[in-house]
Amino acid sequence: MAEQRDDFIIAIRSALLKRGARQRYSLFFLISLSVFVFILDTSSFSYTKVVRSILNDTIYRVSSIASTPLKFSKFSIIKIADLTKIYNENKLLKEQLKKYEILEFDNEFLKIENNSLKKSLKLIDLGSTYYVESHLAKAILDKDSPYLKSIIINKGSKSGFKKGMAVLKEDFLIGRIVEVNFFSSRVLLLNDLNSKIPVTLDPNESQAILEGRGNDLLSLNYLPDGFTEKENETVFTSGKDGVFLPGIPVGKTKINKNGELNIELFADINQLNFVKIIKVIDERRTNFK
Amino acid sequence: MIVKVLIEKIFTSVPLVLLYVLCFTELNLESVFYLQFFSFNVNAMLVYFWTLKRPQMLGSGHIFFANLINDVVLGLPLGTSPLTYLALALVATYIKNSTIHQRFSTDWFAFIPAIFFAYGINFIMIIKFSDLTISYNDIVRNSFFTFLFFPFFYYLFKTYSEKLGLDTDA
Repeated sequence: MAEQRDDFIIAIRSALLKRGARQRYSLFFLISLSVFVFILDTSSFSYTKVVRSILNDTIYRVSSIASTPLKFSKFSIIKIADLTKIYNENKLLKEQLKKYEILEFDNEFLKIENNSLKKSLKLIDLGSTYYVESHLAKAILDKDSPYLKSIIINKGSKSGFKKGMAVLKEDFLIGRIVEVNFFSSRVLLLNDLNSKIPVTLDPNESQAILEGRGNDLLSLNYLPDGFTEKENETVFTSGKDGVFLPGIPVGKTKINKNGELNIELFADINQLNFVKIIKVIDERRTNFK
Repeated sequence: MIVKVLIEKIFTSVPLVLLYVLCFTELNLESVFYLQFFSFNVNAMLVYFWTLKRPQMLGSGHIFFANLINDVVLGLPLGTSPLTYLALALVATYIKNSTIHQRFSTDWFAFIPAIFFAYGINFIMIIKFSDLTISYNDIVRNSFFTFLFFPFFYYLFKTYSEKLGLDTDA
């Protein structure tokens, strides 16, 4: 028993301290160094944050350049796949266009009706509640990890970006900024396990928390009692957290085979190239006369 | 003669280049193979195989540095991945030191404690010392499929080293 223990200790000690021809550093030294780096990074020293920010900016740029051939090959595969779908999509789009033309007329009618009702109620809308500015940024790095779903964009604090800003693809929410460096930022995508945002849905304006599950379908939690699950209902940001603007479209409800309510995002977050960052400049009050 | 030495150097550097490519770029071999559900960790297999068979091909310093970059790219606290893969290398070196006759089956089954030890460290570091949330199921699934796909990569790496005329039991 004692001999076995001695053998184990000798083998472990040898593994930790041995250095070979191309092994300049022992495993013990490198493991200790990793622990030291980890402690420094997780500690709240201000200078480590500056160093980390510079390191992030540098590595993101180099990594983006190094990933260019890969991006090009991915892009080519996607484009070829898209070409095969175009014919059927065209047919479908024509049909949808007809439907939208009808909807546009309905919309026009509702606008007129709304204005006339406002006039009769003597309400004057002073304009939008929020004055927002949108900035375009390029996704420079999109490394898929089994655990973390995030992308790196090419703008940071130099462009006035701050943590918590909403990130959109076209007009649909895809995530929020969680890390800001001088020239780059990290966007936490909605499908990440760490993503939790307050949303509103259905005509009764039910409130809920939209949570990422690590895949393309998201889940809704903290729904009100007696909530009836329906398919194809649009989910918007509620703005209850004071971080996001209210009314940004996120996705639509979908009931899966097990009867669970999921949210399918409007934007395809697996193919991100350019994204829009929403910056709230000024919050005005809406006054009614 | 110089050309021959140069070509040999290039070919022997392939595992190291692959390690840096996996850590530095967007390359994710699972998504190349379209196996999102069956996610596996090529990085772990690469480190385990070459540390076990020919440690001089993949220096520990490179494992540390490449994975430090990987932490930056993935947004993990610095030092998480280096510690994970160095722990894996430690188990692989221990197995190498304590095994007289290395066989595929022993290497494969020894990969189970190695990967669980390394992933355990990774999991504890993320859960206990950072604000990130990670799925326990994803980690277990990833380690299971990494173990399952190991024979494929084992023979791939072994064939490669045999083609180069390298002695993998050195």
